[in-house]
Amino acid sequence: MLESLLAIGGLVLLRDSVEWEGRSLLKALVKKSALSGEQVHVLGCEVSEEEFREGFESDVNSRLIYHDLFRDPLNWSKTGEAHPGGPLGALRAMCRTDSCSITIAVDSLSWLLLHLPCTELCQTLHVLSHGNSYPGVNPPVGQVRVLGLLHEELHGQGPLGALSSLAQTEVTMDGKMGQASVHILYRRPQQRPAYQTQWFSILPDFNLDLQEGPLESQQQPSSHVPLVDPTTHLTFNLHLSKKEREAKDNLTLPFQFSSEKQQALLRPGPGQSSSHIFYEPDVYDDLDQEDPDEDLDI
Amino acid sequence: MAAVATGASGPQCAEALAAAAGNSSSTSFRRRVPKAGGAESSGPRLVSISGTRPSVRNGQLLVSTGLPALDQLLGGGLAVGTVLLIEEDKYNIYSPMLFKYFLAEGIVSGHTLLVASAKEDPTDILKELPAPLRDDNSKKELDEDICHKTAENNTKMKIAWRYQLLPKMEVGPVSSSRFGHYYDASKKISEKLLEASKWHRFFLPEKVSSTLKVEPCFLTHGYGKLLQFIQNIIYEEGFDGSNPQKKQKNILRIGIQSLGSPLWGDAISCTESCGNNHSLTKFLYVLRGLLRTSLSACIITMPTHLIQSKAIIARVKNLSDTVVGLESFIGSERETNPLYKDYHGLIHIRQIPRLNNLICDESDVKDLAFKLKRKLFTIERLHLPPDLSDTVSRSSKQDLADSAKLLGPGCGTMAGGKKHLDF
Repeated sequence: MLESLLAIGGLVLLRDSVEWEGRSLLKALVKKSALSGEQVHVLGCEVSEEEFREGFESDVNSRLIYHDLFRDPLNWSKTGEAHPGGPLGALRAMCRTDSCSITIAVDSLSWLLLHLPCTELCQTLHVLSHGNSYPGVNPPVGQVRVLGLLHEELHGQGPLGALSSLAQTEVTMDGKMGQASVHILYRRPQQRPAYQTQWFSILPDFNLDLQEGPLESQQQPSSHVPLVDPTTHLTFNLHLSKKEREAKDNLTLPFQFSSEKQQALLRPGPGQSSSHIFYEPDVYDDLDQEDPDEDLDI
Repeated sequence: MAAVATGASGPQCAEALAAAAGNSSSTSFRRRVPKAGGAESSGPRLVSISGTRPSVRNGQLLVSTGLPALDQLLGGGLAVGTVLLIEEDKYNIYSPMLFKYFLAEGIVSGHTLLVASAKEDPTDILKELPAPLRDDNSKKELDEDICHKTAENNTKMKIAWRYQLLPKMEVGPVSSSRFGHYYDASKKISEKLLEASKWHRFFLPEKVSSTLKVEPCFLTHGYGKLLQFIQNIIYEEGFDGSNPQKKQKNILRIGIQSLGSPLWGDAISCTESCGNNHSLTKFLYVLRGLLRTSLSACIITMPTHLIQSKAIIARVKNLSDTVVGLESFIGSERETNPLYKDYHGLIHIRQIPRLNNLICDESDVKDLAFKLKRKLFTIERLHLPPDLSDTVSRSSKQDLADSAKLLGPGCGTMAGGKKHLDF
């Protein structure tokens, strides 16, 4: 499952909630991409660096490039470590470094959404995901992947919808009865979105253990209503037999101008005679058409 | 004798007079023919621009939207100087198709294009335009489709055979049509056609460096830049009549993709309360003013499902002229509903403008569905079965999907099932 999540570049949005947390899945993804030789940058905002690095082996830890925003987010100590452009500037600077593929893990996007305007964050994420096609960036960068953790209960529908529309992959954490699951939505451009649901659990060393769904506990006995077919005891026929159906098909309908009717109209039948009108002129009838004054008696 | 002599000479004199009077005409009456091609011509000259035609209903100049079925629903086409707003579907799969059809129609008709986007580079958008179908190929393919369908229909309609005479929604291509072409969605447009056409691009990340902090003033920065760009193009190329030496009038087709999304710098989709955020509505107002004074038509796709405030959506609809909404079935419960299995989504014509008119040209067909086949984007009438269950209300058709599930045992199975009653 992790390979499919990391396969396409772009923004991978991990939406978690209070009951089902997503940081462990984020760390599992970070470990996987670090072990596959990519450059991994981590922008840590919510937890301290020690806490984030906890649980990783030394080789993973050595490959992580950590940008710490937790200790001094507003740069009060003025040590000069923080990037001048703020967290967004730090993000943009990450994708300009090298030409190999980069994974950027943002922990978390919720923190950035609460401190920065949403539109700027969306624009920065868009630039990061499509960073290799802009003329402003000097050499073309390899594939950039952004893993963003988002706590969906902290935000309203607006920012969630905006970030979802930008994401290429959206992973929603869920679960039932102690078993965690993810609903993955793959949004590729110009293609229909694909859904997938996967039950899993994360081991202490941040490897993934895929599982089947939770065991079904005793099912509620479904109340069966015996189906009553009303056509069984009827005093009339509801269906036609084959002969009756054939007879019905062969019937010409009254308003249909079929060939038989046409013949009947063109050729008068033997029983019909053409009608004639016989006229006996009366004594008062005006037979002369041209003289209009004949009946004036002048 | 004398009378006869004078009588005989009379006609000869008349002929001699007539011969002296005019060379070709035998009478002295002459018809005043209006001079054609004069500077002070007496009659009005018809503006004949390629790819347009006057509407038979209200006399407006119409351009095609690229889909003849959509043209028919909008009353012949899109009027020049108006805005066509497409409400995007949730996953933004089908609205780019309509956008591309509009632009491809512009290229085929020889119009100038202006493509603005904050998401993709307009050059890439233009490379993915569908290729126009040649007339004979398209006629053959559509004839096959239509024959296939009518063959099925003919066997069914024995009693209600008069309904076969009803006009079908799908209009086949007219062989020599210069208005409304057909496109093959599986092929890309050829490079030659693209190079031969004239187009301008506006790509927001290039124009606006986002590290620059700009105070929000009248309009969002991106919108202001876009309006200035459009105004410059209209002025320089003379679409508003400001360069009278232009030899041939042409139409400018403007396409703006995903207006109102956060990539344009507009926070309208991110905040729930609209507050003082009137940038989008002001942009539409100014844009409409620019369009009305120039020979241009605009298509805008907008992700209205992201905008939370219904008041703003209503204002946006009022500020646009023609509004078409796309609703795709992906992800919704209707995807598995057998009623909708042939289609990919519903298309709603939400608004048609009243231009110099008291009534607008609404078609009486309100249930329309679209389907994106491999080569063609079709819009068809949706035939919903009658509501036969007593649990569904008459006023809402979308409960039909729910009622189909609610039909339980009993009389309901007869109505909704495959068994039919023969009498």
